[in-house]
Amino acid sequence: MRVVTVQELRDLWLGGRGLVLTFAFSLLLSVVAYLVATNRGLNFLEHRETVNLLLQVAIAVGALLALLAAADTISGERERGTLESLLLTPVSRLELTVGKLLGALSLWAVAFLVSTPYVWFLARGVGLTRDALLTGAVVGTLLAVFLGSLGVLISILASSNRVSLSLSLLLLLALFVPTQLPSNAQQGWAGDLLLRANPITAGEHYVGKIVTNGRAWTADVSWLISPLVCAAVFATAALVVGARCIRLGGGARG
Amino acid sequence: MSAAVEARGVEKRYGSLVAVADLSFAAEPGEILGVLGPNGAGKTTAIRVLTTILDPSRGSFAVAGVPHTRPAEIRRRIGVLPESAGYPEHQTGEEYLRYHARLYGRSRADAQAAAGVLLDEVGLGDRGSTLISTYSRGMRQRLGIARALVNEPQVVFLDEPTLGLDPAGQRQMLTTVRRIAGERGATVLLSTHLLAEVEETCSRVLILNRGRVAAEGTVAEVAARAAAPRAARLRISAADEERARLALAEADVTVLGAELETARLSDAFLAMTEAA
Repeated sequence: MRVVTVQELRDLWLGGRGLVLTFAFSLLLSVVAYLVATNRGLNFLEHRETVNLLLQVAIAVGALLALLAAADTISGERERGTLESLLLTPVSRLELTVGKLLGALSLWAVAFLVSTPYVWFLARGVGLTRDALLTGAVVGTLLAVFLGSLGVLISILASSNRVSLSLSLLLLLALFVPTQLPSNAQQGWAGDLLLRANPITAGEHYVGKIVTNGRAWTADVSWLISPLVCAAVFATAALVVGARCIRLGGGARG
Repeated sequence: MSAAVEARGVEKRYGSLVAVADLSFAAEPGEILGVLGPNGAGKTTAIRVLTTILDPSRGSFAVAGVPHTRPAEIRRRIGVLPESAGYPEHQTGEEYLRYHARLYGRSRADAQAAAGVLLDEVGLGDRGSTLISTYSRGMRQRLGIARALVNEPQVVFLDEPTLGLDPAGQRQMLTTVRRIAGERGATVLLSTHLLAEVEETCSRVLILNRGRVAAEGTVAEVAARAAAPRAARLRISAADEERARLALAEADVTVLGAELETARLSDAFLAMTEAA
């Protein structure tokens, strides 16, 4: 497994794809940080809210990067014709899947590291740096594991790389839809259930409670149930069920 | 089982479609067995079943003495060049081989040394540090052969290794195949369309047609079996050729050719696959 993981990291980072995505990510964070720090309109935001906004962007985009990398793992190998050679080695399909998932998750880890100075810069005035970074690390990691595992699972089952990437993005957009609902639609038991059941909205809500409202870590921990359960369920599904389902795909005839 | 590869009644189905049916054969250690057949005959499916990529629907087989119920162990003992294998364009040939050697559990230093030796063996010693994206089709195929040998396999499966190569590349590839069997003592299962080269390279052949074994045996046996009814042959002295022609013409006998006709494997292949 270590050999596969190291190779995945080499392919991602020395191959240049990881660096390009991280560069784009840091550009986006720079723009967001600049706007929330200088724009008069946005300055109506309370200081804590600017930190929350930046952190939520970092988590959402960082997890998206993990999803994109994961969605290319197996279907990408299949499309490039390199999957059969890997399946012919004594490395188990589980080890292969774990190695590839860890490679994809490295994008989130680096994205979080890149976000750290931005969060520090915005949060230093209100003594929020430690809490903001810890909350971001916990929630972001849970969401990255959930989305990364989802991406790997789709990549294993998809008939082509294009299908895998399209389906992954479609599902991600669907998960973000509740964040765009008007505030009155998010209230009541149905709205509350929708926010809590959706790991993205639940995770971001939890970050908001800690960073913006200054609540204690344990006060709203129930909002972490959905991200935690989804991360555990999808990681198990990808590694246990998905790994067993890795196939060459159609056309296995001579 | 003493055979390097032994299949007994192997069948592979995709729903109602039978890709391989009742495949039974044995390949002895160190021999080169040519696996022939037209497109769709089941060659690639048979190889994928024997290399544990696909599960058989029925039957059993053993490779290097390991039964098919222990696929991971079989994979440790075989080398495979799959049909239309892809290669990571951003890696160098040496990195690629090193990675695969590591996947077989070799240490970093051992993998490095093995990569160098194999690159030299397939004639890519001077291109090992070049990106695979710059390799020609022939170079990629040779790299694929090197990868198939990275674990010092007892049995090597080569699925259409000469596909897309020019005549010189084909000859070079077949020389490499002979060397694998000769110097390494590995059994080689060679799937190809190049019948003339199979006659030169393979000790025995297995002809598949529509998923079934149409013929099996030495090249001479298989060729003789199908070539016999093709034409009657007269052995005459070269000096009598003209007189013989006239005599045959007078007797209203059609002369197909004046030269002695040699039985060829291609005749056998076409006769068996067209008749079925």
